[in-house]
Amino acid sequence: MKVIKRDLGHQRRRVGIIFMAPALILVSAFLGIPIIQAVYYSFTQWDGLTAVWTGISTYTHELRDPIFWRVLENNGLLLIGIPVAMLLPMGIAFLLNEKVPGWKVFRTIYFLPTAISWVVIGMVALRFFAQEGLLNGLLKGFGLSFIHTDLLSSEKGALFAVSLTFIWSMVGTNTIIFLTGMATLDNSLNEAARMDGASNLRIFRSITLPQLRRFIQFSFIITVISAFTALFSLIFVMTGGGPGFGTTTLEFFIYQNAFSRGDFGTGAMLGVILFLMMAVLGIGQLAIMRSKDE
Amino acid sequence: MKLKMKRKEAIIFVVMTLFAVVMIYPFYFMINTSFKSNAQFLGAKGHSMLSWHKLFQALPVGRQLLNSTVVCAGSIAIILVVSTMAGYSLSKLRSKLSWLFFLGIVGAMLIPLQSIIIPAYINASHLNLLTGYWGAIFIYAALGTPFATFLMTSYFRGLPDDLIEAAICDGLSYRRIFSKIAIPLAIPAIVTIIVLQFIQIWDDLLVGLLFIQDPNYRTITVGLGALSAGRTTDIPVLMAGSLLSAIPAVAVYLIFQRQLVNGLTAGIGK
Repeated sequence: MKVIKRDLGHQRRRVGIIFMAPALILVSAFLGIPIIQAVYYSFTQWDGLTAVWTGISTYTHELRDPIFWRVLENNGLLLIGIPVAMLLPMGIAFLLNEKVPGWKVFRTIYFLPTAISWVVIGMVALRFFAQEGLLNGLLKGFGLSFIHTDLLSSEKGALFAVSLTFIWSMVGTNTIIFLTGMATLDNSLNEAARMDGASNLRIFRSITLPQLRRFIQFSFIITVISAFTALFSLIFVMTGGGPGFGTTTLEFFIYQNAFSRGDFGTGAMLGVILFLMMAVLGIGQLAIMRSKDE
Repeated sequence: MKLKMKRKEAIIFVVMTLFAVVMIYPFYFMINTSFKSNAQFLGAKGHSMLSWHKLFQALPVGRQLLNSTVVCAGSIAIILVVSTMAGYSLSKLRSKLSWLFFLGIVGAMLIPLQSIIIPAYINASHLNLLTGYWGAIFIYAALGTPFATFLMTSYFRGLPDDLIEAAICDGLSYRRIFSKIAIPLAIPAIVTIIVLQFIQIWDDLLVGLLFIQDPNYRTITVGLGALSAGRTTDIPVLMAGSLLSAIPAVAVYLIFQRQLVNGLTAGIGK
């Protein structure tokens, strides 16, 4: 019997490794090795064919480049939109959670942009913010024609337009996350607190929010990751990174460096910086979740 | 009291309707504009099919829809095979190395596409993967596999070990258990992965733009992106293209909404 058991353990381990192999090979070949290559090439001057080792100087050179900081500033400015991209959906989720007749239809409508590509969203947004677009039409309709906007023609304005579009498209995802969270709420706690005379605001702050903690964290991570790594197509279609460097975020800057200018070394380096930013975010998230579990 | 409830409901209903208008307006705009000629869009009255005709001249729409389908199907097939096997291994065939594999897979979820795209692009060109569909298929598969594996691992963890032991006693091997028991039980998770990946890959621009060099193999989203970046300033044509490219993903969304939500919230954990 013992022999059979040991045999079985052996078989299990062997099959286990065989079953793991395809995933490991695929992920290593197309993600693992390239990220290591990216680190290597980030220390070189590279045109895609020949790479010349330049060491740390690529980094120091880039850190002294004002354009690099201009690009990072754009990423920073995008972060300002994140509270809105979370609070608005939280409010919507609260309303949906009241389960007014027809709420499921509303939920479907709000979540719809999740299925739409950034290319399509970008194209419609382009028309919305254009000179003769709906935004100006609306302003005129409300008798505010003196605020004739041309957001896409100025650097800050264009970034603002990109942010607004980004917030619009995150509404669905974040609403669903919060709605899922609210389904897990323990209503008996609310009742008990109400019996004790707690106000609605107080109940929300002391009982609801702590229970939603995990969902708020998750929504935050998803929103930041999207802001930093998912907007390429939107920017590509809406502004092409311009005007000037007005809407060039780090991810777009990587593409521009490598595929418009042929400077693959700098592109690789910027990729490494983006990866480090995401890794810090991910590890921070894990650390927070761990500390809460214990 | 009842009246007060009714009023509250009415207010919520109105607010939600306003939000719905904001969310749905772009779709209305797309549909409405696509049925206008450029002149009608710029002010003239009426609707026409002209822009749809022009779209079919400007883009090989049928071919590109087919390309999108092939790329989606190929990548998703690879993701499914690889991630169900890995998930089964990580949950039911654990060894001392399992935690290391799991860490590697979860770690790969943190790698942004833009960080690996340059070396991956150069590698693919050396391997002649940029000419047909394969370059894009492999990249999409590799990008989708970490999360799919994560999802499958947590799903298979829910399968009771007793079930597996009983099957072993009946003389089934671990492979047979995988194909005869684990996979049939995992259909809901598999559907979630298909839906999630379909929408993601169908809607993607960057990978298709770089890894499919031959215009004949372009996906519809890339074709549309190229059209908008190119000379076409004919808005109704672009809107017709947008609408057409969005329909498959929207249809999948409407049918499989629940699975999509499950996939999205699976990352939160319990």
